[in-house]
Amino acid sequence: MRWLLRRIVFYLFAIWVALTLTFLLPRLMPGDPVGGVLQHLSPSQIQANPGIVQTYEALLGGGKGSILHDYVVYLRRISHFNFGVSTSNYPAPVSTVIGRTLPYSIILVGVSFFLAFVLGTFVGMIAAWRRGKSVDSVLVPMFMSVGAFPAFFTALLAVYFLGLKLNWFPIQHAYDNGLSPGFDWAFISSAVRHAELPALVILIAYTGGWVLNMRTVMINTIGEDYVQVGFAKGLKDRRVMTSYAGRNAILPPLNGFAAQFATAVGGVVVIEYVFSYPGAGLTLQQAVLGSDYPLSQALLLVLALCVIGANFLMDILNLILDPRVRTS
Amino acid sequence: MKRLHVPGWLRLLLRNPKSRLGLAIIAFILLVMIIGPFFASPDPNAFNLLAARQAPSWHHLFGTTDQGSDVFAQVVVGARQSLLLGFAAATLATAVATILGVLAAYSGGIVDDGINSIINVFLVLPPIPLLIVISGFLKTRGLWTMVLALGLVLWAFEARILRSQALSLRSRDFVHAAKAAGESTHRIVFGELMPNMISRIAAAWVLVFYISLLTDAGLEFLGLGSLQKPSWGVTLYWAQTNSAVLQGEWWSFVFPGAALALTVIGLVFLLAGIDEVSNPRLRTERVGGGFAHRLTELVLPSRPARPPAEAS
Repeated sequence: MRWLLRRIVFYLFAIWVALTLTFLLPRLMPGDPVGGVLQHLSPSQIQANPGIVQTYEALLGGGKGSILHDYVVYLRRISHFNFGVSTSNYPAPVSTVIGRTLPYSIILVGVSFFLAFVLGTFVGMIAAWRRGKSVDSVLVPMFMSVGAFPAFFTALLAVYFLGLKLNWFPIQHAYDNGLSPGFDWAFISSAVRHAELPALVILIAYTGGWVLNMRTVMINTIGEDYVQVGFAKGLKDRRVMTSYAGRNAILPPLNGFAAQFATAVGGVVVIEYVFSYPGAGLTLQQAVLGSDYPLSQALLLVLALCVIGANFLMDILNLILDPRVRTS
Repeated sequence: MKRLHVPGWLRLLLRNPKSRLGLAIIAFILLVMIIGPFFASPDPNAFNLLAARQAPSWHHLFGTTDQGSDVFAQVVVGARQSLLLGFAAATLATAVATILGVLAAYSGGIVDDGINSIINVFLVLPPIPLLIVISGFLKTRGLWTMVLALGLVLWAFEARILRSQALSLRSRDFVHAAKAAGESTHRIVFGELMPNMISRIAAAWVLVFYISLLTDAGLEFLGLGSLQKPSWGVTLYWAQTNSAVLQGEWWSFVFPGAALALTVIGLVFLLAGIDEVSNPRLRTERVGGGFAHRLTELVLPSRPARPPAEAS
């Protein structure tokens, strides 16, 4: 339990760093971010939102108060998730924009990245178990070589060949025009159809890493005594592979899952951009290009929190799967 | 004629099939970068609306963009900017990672705890969103500003690896011997630790090189890099902005994308080769023969469990 406690302390520290970094970034950068944001609002829009200038100043700096005072105000606003109005989505507040776009990313990335992990680990396990056989010599090099492509290049190729030329998948947006988001069959089926190609690209881009990872660890595990014990007990080949070798070999890749997730979140920004998929990544890019600093600041914070949350989940899973962690 | 002198490390790398392939690919890219511009139209950004959106032909080897610029010229001239940026950012990130990693491992105690926490925090902050937001705040995104931003965001994962390597070296006999002989800290770090880490540092540099290459191309593709000079990412950005894909102009993204992918693949092979040369245990024993199997062994960088931090 001390281990878990130390992890929690670390995550609290990481959250504090993320909060402070988002506070300091606009203040350290050259230029006048508040002025840049206000340029995108008309005088009447500024008047319609009393206190908006103060909110922006608390978030981005440039106010008259001391930096310490700013920091306290900033933390207080954030604890209420008050990031002011998003200028590029006027009059929607930043929190509404994030609430609208983040679910798309979480579902798309969460599901497809998890699938890539499961598929990659499985292929890696079999490849190592039957080294030099068909899976090892056909599937593994295939995943590795397509995985070496930059993700956005894979995405562009997928849009061109699978979407445009073969017309197998819709290539833009998250659902068909004319539908509105809701829990009805027409919307959900359309949303799933639109998520297929981006998900496939994420699968192609990230499976190879897991294949390689699992294969390497598994090859080392096969030599261990407990695997031989499994055979000596007269257990079936498949049982030894999954319950003896595989169960132990999966721990290091699992530990790498969270670190990989941090880079995957970034890769998704580019993929969403290719597909004009209205998730948090595309919104971040649009916000930054449109100088909508409050929105980009909040999105950076939220994405960092997502990664920290994923790390924490992985720690819990690790705690369940690896008894050594529990006793240490 | 006197025989050409090949340095020892290069001979080692050329003997390994993976790094040999990697070096060959990189040499090819460099060759194209150097002699390509002599065969390309002098101005890669020249507008010529009469020659816009042409498919590849003898006149325009890689076709033309929406503005009628020659894609071949953009790719071969853009290589300079892309590679220089990756090179410089990798050098900066590796320097930071080496200094902090070795400092942490050698000092131990509170310095190590401090640096280690910073490394771990950087590992849970998503690098690309961070870079996107930083480049949004930057008004002028020149080459060196981007190098600075990339280098200072992408150092952490290598620092962790170099720290653990320095930790394991620190307790070796030769370091104890140097300490007992009264060597200064400076001499132990630079004379004893560093030379033994050089292959790991080289591997770190290659890894960060291709990650910053990919990350920078990704940023430029999003419209957030330095867009003044042609580079692979910038060509891809204009292809996407002018919806070249949706109009079926495959050449405007396939060629710059393929150049990027080929460079990355070359660097991945070089990295796998460096790992094998410096750590003989990683060399794959020959199981059976057959072409398919040999291909597997070549394609698979047999590096130990470490998430290949694919950046974009």
